[in-house]
Amino acid sequence: MNPVPAIRFVVRSALQNILRNRGIAFASLLTVTLTLLGAGAAVGVVSALDTVLHQEETQASVLKVFMADHISFASALNMEHTLALEPSVRTASFESKDQAAAQASSTLGLGGALHILETTGAGNPLPASINLHLRNIGAVTRINNQVSTSALLYPGPHQTDYNKDVIPRVQHYILAAQLGGAILVAVVGAVALVIITISVRTAAFVRRKEIEIMKLVGATDWFVRWPFILEGMILGIISALLASAVLLGVGLAFGSGGSLALGVGVRLALLIMAGLVLGGAVLGSFGSLFGIRRSLAT
Amino acid sequence: MSISTSPVPTRPQVEGTTRPVRHDPPIIVFQNVSKTYPNGVPAIRDISFTVPPRDFVFVVGASGAGKSTIIRLLIREETASKGHVLVEGQDLARLRRRHLPRLRRKMGIVFQDFKLLPTLTVAQNVAFAIQVTDPGRSHLKEKVGEALYIVGLEDKLNTFPTELSGGEQQRVAIARALVHRPRIFLADEPTGNLDPDAGWGIVQLLLQINHRGATVVMATHNREVVDLCRRRVLAMEGGMLIRDEQEGQYLKEGEANL
Ligand SMILES: Nc1ncnc2c1ncn2[C@@H]1O[C@H](COP(=O)(O)OP(=O)(O)OP(=O)(O)O)[C@@H](O)[C@H]1O
Ligand SMILES: [Mg+2]
Repeated sequence: MNPVPAIRFVVRSALQNILRNRGIAFASLLTVTLTLLGAGAAVGVVSALDTVLHQEETQASVLKVFMADHISFASALNMEHTLALEPSVRTASFESKDQAAAQASSTLGLGGALHILETTGAGNPLPASINLHLRNIGAVTRINNQVSTSALLYPGPHQTDYNKDVIPRVQHYILAAQLGGAILVAVVGAVALVIITISVRTAAFVRRKEIEIMKLVGATDWFVRWPFILEGMILGIISALLASAVLLGVGLAFGSGGSLALGVGVRLALLIMAGLVLGGAVLGSFGSLFGIRRSLAT
Repeated sequence: MSISTSPVPTRPQVEGTTRPVRHDPPIIVFQNVSKTYPNGVPAIRDISFTVPPRDFVFVVGASGAGKSTIIRLLIREETASKGHVLVEGQDLARLRRRHLPRLRRKMGIVFQDFKLLPTLTVAQNVAFAIQVTDPGRSHLKEKVGEALYIVGLEDKLNTFPTELSGGEQQRVAIARALVHRPRIFLADEPTGNLDPDAGWGIVQLLLQINHRGATVVMATHNREVVDLCRRRVLAMEGGMLIRDEQEGQYLKEGEANL
């Protein structure tokens, strides 16, 4: 079968389908646009929430490992290097006793107290530490358990320091946001699928005589299907483009600086739009397959 | 009802005999075929017959006798509940769905209601059969023209079906059925919607198609046509084959003239 005339026939029939059923095509275009708009907005909101929560997570993914006073600078550095090689460790930095003191006096206002201790010969009570930034919040507890066995650590119950209760809370929020977003997208996708199925079923009904003749003269099932699949794809893609345009407009109107509304970046915006178009095409083709199935049954 | 003696537009006739070739293997075989529709209606009960290549067969019988069911079994719109239907040796019950197009392309099929697309011209309606089966076929125009010439409508290429008489519409349908050069031509009440003259014209056309070498099966109510043609007659009654005559008539000799 020569592809060029076949493609020409398929494209022409698909466009005819849309034009002949302008009413239904327009109605489904509108509803699918609205549902995809919902899906796109949901992805935007969820990802904005995700960004915020990940910032929280980054802040919470800090582990301070306190060093015993007696250990040498060299063995402390050695431990820092070992920890820095861990895959889940983003950065590891050594904080000396003096740096800890300076930090404490500037941020905690403990300068006076430290000074008294120093001058009375008691020395600096603050331990040196290795400060770890971990790649994700889940690794904090694991790394903590791993380093706790080291002999180099500050003796006593406070060998390390991290924010214990923030971790599970942030994890829950992230999960809930992702789950909620996924469910919303799935529901919206199902609605769009049903609408396109109905639209294509109507188109197939309008063209039932044509389908009957095609089968009678020996056209293959795929040849009968293709125009309808293309019709569904066109409807899905146009809807996705409309939804993308609306989302982009809203995003630009409420955005500021280099990002759109909700702090959505250009990269994410492009990703959402590409996802919508792809989703529209996929929903369109599957909706068509379902819509045409009954007409091909006999 | 009467048929005028003036011949309907005739085409160059192929001279010679159209007798079927009886020593060749049959092109159509019904072997103890029964068909019961899903609702339980037994439309055909245990019928058997064979059709040799180039035969011309009328299937006659009252309404509901099962004539259309025979046609539907042949084009495999339905499958037999019992027995075997074979076309060119192929058991249609074992035909895969994806091979159905191949079967249909061997067949020319026409119905009482023409099944033309009103939005397409005559030429486009005929071309449609090629475009949806073999879109790249070369010389599309010539092939369409040739088919329309055979049915005598070469001057109506750009006319729409609604602007044609019933007889002309059926000719367009026949032209469309001819573009694949079918070896088997099936017609279910092709004259059912036509006045006697137009109907007779269609039958002449089918006889001519048979002349050119196609096997023709025509289901019909049209008694005058059957009696005039003196061709093979399969008579159905209540789903059963009650008569199979080589030069038959619509009614059995001596049967009450209803
Ligand atoms: N799709 C179907 N479902 C159920 N029963 C059917 C179906 N098609 C036909 N029948 C029944 O099967 C029987 C035979 O029908 P068929 O159409 O073959 O008759 P026919 O001889 O062509 O009649 P007609 O001359 O009226 O066209 C009838 O009793 C009819 O009611
Ligand atoms: Mg019938």
